[in-house]
Amino acid sequence: MKYIESSLGKLKLDSCVTVASGTFGLDYLKLRDADGKLLLPQESLGAYVSKTITYELKAGNPSPRLYETECGLLNSIGLQNPGLKGFLQTDLPILKDALRIPLIVSFSGSSIDEFCEMITAMEPYQEIAGYEVNVSCPNVEKEGIAFGADPDVIHKLVASLAALTDKELIVKLSPSVTDIAQMALAAQEAGASSIALINTLWGMAIDWRTGKAMLSKKVGGYSGRGVKPVALALVYKVAQVVDIPILAMGGIHTWQDALEFIYAGASAVAVGTANFNDPGAPAKIAKGLQEHCKTNNIHIKDLIANLR
Amino acid sequence: MPLWTVEPLLWISNMITRELLKVVDVNIPAPQYVLLKLDAGKPMKGLIPGMFYELRAPSQAGRLFKPISILEVEDHLLSFLIKVIGAGTEAFAHLKAGDGVEALGPLGNGFPSINGRRVLLVSGGAGYPPLAWLKREADEAEFCLHLHGCATADEVFPCDLLYTVDGSQGHKGLVTDSVESLISDHKIDLVLSCGPVPMLAKLTNICIQVEHYVSMEAYMACGIGVCHGCAIPVDSDYKLVCKDGPVFDATRIRWSEL
Repeated sequence: MKYIESSLGKLKLDSCVTVASGTFGLDYLKLRDADGKLLLPQESLGAYVSKTITYELKAGNPSPRLYETECGLLNSIGLQNPGLKGFLQTDLPILKDALRIPLIVSFSGSSIDEFCEMITAMEPYQEIAGYEVNVSCPNVEKEGIAFGADPDVIHKLVASLAALTDKELIVKLSPSVTDIAQMALAAQEAGASSIALINTLWGMAIDWRTGKAMLSKKVGGYSGRGVKPVALALVYKVAQVVDIPILAMGGIHTWQDALEFIYAGASAVAVGTANFNDPGAPAKIAKGLQEHCKTNNIHIKDLIANLR
Repeated sequence: MPLWTVEPLLWISNMITRELLKVVDVNIPAPQYVLLKLDAGKPMKGLIPGMFYELRAPSQAGRLFKPISILEVEDHLLSFLIKVIGAGTEAFAHLKAGDGVEALGPLGNGFPSINGRRVLLVSGGAGYPPLAWLKREADEAEFCLHLHGCATADEVFPCDLLYTVDGSQGHKGLVTDSVESLISDHKIDLVLSCGPVPMLAKLTNICIQVEHYVSMEAYMACGIGVCHGCAIPVDSDYKLVCKDGPVFDATRIRWSEL
């Protein structure tokens, strides 16, 4: 898609639109509309980001895991995944077979050694174009945000990983920190080739009739429309201090939303919660951006961080 | 895995569509309930009671679809009986004939066949639709009795034996009260149920000697096994209500964790 080609650090993207980890299954690529047309031609996506995998398999959190609020979605999935071995044996061949666009594997470990062991195991697979280092999941104890709230820890982790790969290395940050710019700088200095933000915010819902929390873990991750202004502000803040590209996400539902993130400083965007509202959303967003740029005879790259 | 479970991926590629279906009729059959009839535009073959659609009224654009069990299939017409519990479900009550409803489906596995079986159908409250559909196919069964239970006369729908908690209509008490004796009196060999978790858990305790399948309800986002949001504890793991269910062998669910 000529007008919306972009790139992350080492990865050329034919479209600046991607999907957020854990919100997009391969089954979506098979969905059709009433006329039998594919809802989502995969060419509209610049890359596919897998759901986050961990070293050991994870059964996930108890139910209920999900609750829709007035303007967003609460989740407490708990990184349910088949584990590194299960992913490499079962999921990866399916992804390789199905995808004609770059595959980015999202992963998280419970120690720096575990992160390193995981990336080493994935390195030989040519079908993996890059990694998203998830240091920001709010729904697990040992992995995720345990690594993402301290710039020194981020630096040590990312430096260890950068030494083990030449592929795209994206570090996904949490909004639940005092100064996200510090975290982004630490990742950049340690060798990250791009930054992804934001992961979900802490969120909660309570039934006033019964006093019962709507999620089994009480507090979960909040995403969707309600988080967009928060995400825009954080993307802007990070873009002010880093030189590496930003993959932005947080409540993007329309191409106009996506464009706002480009102006704030993102080189590419990821569609997350909107996939559940409309599995065809990423395709519509890519098409909308493409048409907007064509009409105005501009390239999306010219609009990155072009905030007035 | 039970024989009647259909490989979900096959479903996705062959049958599941996301389209705008036309509203044929909207009714309020009881307070807090909406009866919605949609035109699928083509004969709907091969659907099984227990299957559902993810539906959304146009006013809810940008919010999630709501998983709604099918009440009835008549050639190209699909009926849904929807309990109003929030904004997403209330929006269905404001639809008019000719409006469009976004529909993703059909989804889920559905109940096992009642062909030649001696069946007890047990529904509670909003769990009524899939069992009412099964009851209409009762000719296939050797024996088929539908019990429905609800809080008050406000949730009463056609069935064989009615129970209300407040005694305002039918028998006073819970729908589970006489299941044990009905099973032995009628030599029941299959119990199919849908309703609130406490009712289903109690029924599972009663049906120790009888094959028992339940259709489960869960908050859901994607409907096709992507988000893992609708997981419930089954065997030593979690299973997805949307893709592995919504119908499960009741003995395999870890009820105490729900």
